[in-house]
Amino acid sequence: MEKFKEKIKECLQHEPAFCTAVCPFRLDVRDFMEKMQRGGFNAAYRAYLNTVTFPVIVSELCGEPCKGVCPRGSTDAPISMKLLEKASIRYARNLDPNSYNLPDKGKSIAVIGAGISGLACALRMASKKYRVTVYEKSDRIGGHLWKLLPSEIFLKDIRHQFMNEEYTLCLNTEIKSLEEIEQDAVYIATGAGGTDFGLERSETGAYASVRPGFFIGGSLCGSNTMEAIADGLQAVNSIERYLKTGNMNQPTPYSGTKIKLDSQLIKRQEPVIPAEDGAYTTEEAVNEAKRCLRCSCDACIRHCDLMKYYSKYPKRIGEEVEITIHPGTLDGNGTVATRLIATCNHCGICKEVCPLDIDTGEFLLQSHRAMREKGAMPWAYHDFWLRDMHAANGESAALCRIPEGYKQSSYVFFPGCQLGASEPSYVMESYRFLLKNNPDTALMLGCCGVPAEWAGDEPLHRDVIDSLREKWEGIGKPIAVFACPTCKQVFEKYLPEIKGVFLYQRLGELGIHPAMEGRSETVSVFDPCTSRYEPELQQGIRDLAVRAGFNLEPLPYEGKYARCCSWGGQVSVANPAFAREVVKVRTNQGNNPYIAYCVNCRDIFAAAKKPVYHILDILFGLNGSRHVPPTITERRHNRIRLKRNILKEFWRDDENMGEKANGFMLYMTPELRNKLNNEMILEGDVQTVIEHCENSGKKVADAETGHYIGHLQIGNMTCWAEYVPRDGGFELFNAYSHRMSIEEG
Amino acid sequence: MEEKKIICCRCNKELKPEKTYFSYLGHSYHADIMRCPDCGEVYIPEELVKGRMFEVETMLEDK
Repeated sequence: MEKFKEKIKECLQHEPAFCTAVCPFRLDVRDFMEKMQRGGFNAAYRAYLNTVTFPVIVSELCGEPCKGVCPRGSTDAPISMKLLEKASIRYARNLDPNSYNLPDKGKSIAVIGAGISGLACALRMASKKYRVTVYEKSDRIGGHLWKLLPSEIFLKDIRHQFMNEEYTLCLNTEIKSLEEIEQDAVYIATGAGGTDFGLERSETGAYASVRPGFFIGGSLCGSNTMEAIADGLQAVNSIERYLKTGNMNQPTPYSGTKIKLDSQLIKRQEPVIPAEDGAYTTEEAVNEAKRCLRCSCDACIRHCDLMKYYSKYPKRIGEEVEITIHPGTLDGNGTVATRLIATCNHCGICKEVCPLDIDTGEFLLQSHRAMREKGAMPWAYHDFWLRDMHAANGESAALCRIPEGYKQSSYVFFPGCQLGASEPSYVMESYRFLLKNNPDTALMLGCCGVPAEWAGDEPLHRDVIDSLREKWEGIGKPIAVFACPTCKQVFEKYLPEIKGVFLYQRLGELGIHPAMEGRSETVSVFDPCTSRYEPELQQGIRDLAVRAGFNLEPLPYEGKYARCCSWGGQVSVANPAFAREVVKVRTNQGNNPYIAYCVNCRDIFAAAKKPVYHILDILFGLNGSRHVPPTITERRHNRIRLKRNILKEFWRDDENMGEKANGFMLYMTPELRNKLNNEMILEGDVQTVIEHCENSGKKVADAETGHYIGHLQIGNMTCWAEYVPRDGGFELFNAYSHRMSIEEG
Repeated sequence: MEEKKIICCRCNKELKPEKTYFSYLGHSYHADIMRCPDCGEVYIPEELVKGRMFEVETMLEDK
């Protein structure tokens, strides 16, 4: 975590855009464009005015260095900044400068030279209510602008911008010696070839001369017209620092930018050319502004679902997580990021897209652990899945066995806890095929422990990992064959001694011929986020799909940019709205049916009615793309049935049947069954509630309907059931659950 | 809202609202809940579970 906090300091979020980095004024073009893009000409003009001070002069004379660095330049054409600046002036409601009602600062400033640099400094100082005196040796203001612009244009702009400020202008006054000056600080801007009174620029600070209180800038120091104006404005910061602290060490403003942009990602958009008299109409201006990419380093927030959902960059997330883990108050109020921490899918895309490899996901995982250790992470977020893991690793569902007649195995098939829960045939068919080729292949049914990892429960996770290691050693340390990329990831991280391969690659190597015919149906392979660094697997799946006769079309996010289906991190309890949003975005990124090779992706999409095959459907000719996924209750039953069928077929073992389900029938409508599934209420839990109510007599009755209603806290959750006895079993009318415990004592 | 008539099956008494305590994440909270005046058997309708109760649960998680 400390590493992340260090790393995050390098985050490029606040780096300026390319244009801003080369602009003499450091105009915040992102901000200006945001206003222009929505037609906010007045707001855009205010931003522009506040930065450049003389908007008419600047928009006439600027050499547009921004155009040279605009990333659009290499794709279509750079943004026409000057025309947009002029449009902001043309269409702004109010062009008058701000009037600041501030008290007199009580300090006086001398500006030597009434060129545009000196005037810029004078205006900015006067608006801050310093007493400003400008000395000019000639009989007019404007300096070298007389050579560049018609005087009515620049004189009008200068007069306009000074309209709210008072200052003393001494024309025909040549300062011969600095000893004549009585003011508190001096800005010397005598223009190109002007006198510097023998003062040299000092390295100690921006615009500082070697003499305290004396600052130099403008064309005198080699600046061009725009830089000269900017010098005058920026020198104000140095002067103010000197007046307040007596130091001449104002840091030189940072220039340059570290952001990078992949120009291949820029969509071509032709520049807007003004139709008439070289100026934009409002509509043209808005359209041209909309071409602006408002460049920033925002890859993380664009690609990471969590950052996008919360509109928060890693830095902000880091800060909020910090105060959540270490709240400032004794009762722990203000733990703002608890839910955010529990919303990370742990898909790894944040690190993949970050130019500095900042791994926000890993940070959130560690934060999750810290929160759980403190007991500050709500148990409800992971309760269901930890119970599910417990069931998958329990006696009735888990298995680790070597085929009859062998003492050890060279391979072990590890399908993971969800493959058989979703579709027992996936495991049966795969194992049959593997056995045919390697008759000593062992089978391990169970969970890799990732729910505990995602719940931040390290001790529990360690127990699962230790038990897996022990079982693996017991069957002769075979090579693991994984169906689930998440399992493989967990094994690589925590059981690196176990060599693993993917089932699908293994099946391909063994020369499987896909049983389903693709009949040239166009589909898209959906790479699970856990396949990000498994390019061979990704290619292998595509090869198998093509071999089956499917046409493939790529998805916008695949390969190393694979994104999570919403399952990762098991975040749907902590943040159901987020999970729904992720599913929506993932299912809408391609119009074709998907081929998934993580069964969780398949089930999530199928539940959202997206046509999707599992690759094993194609290989073994099983379900079609409109397969309805099982409910959470059916998943539990599938695991038990799978173990029973496996033992029967491969070990001729009918006895080891595992636990029996509750011995009575529960009748309910399909709608209610659907509701229980959506609210993650297991039918087995409802049966336990009814059993408890019937055995203890602790139940109430609705006088009108005659329905019994009762409840029981099972683990942490409290479950309610509304039912009547029927045909030796019970008919269920409703069930619901809550997290709060009732203090019944 | 018209209250449903709910009868405790053990005591055969009608449930009446009574102050009841709940706890979640180390915080305690109370509300008037239908209870049997004799044995204290509770009834919480789904509207309350999905409404106010869920709000308080969410609030405590985000506290």
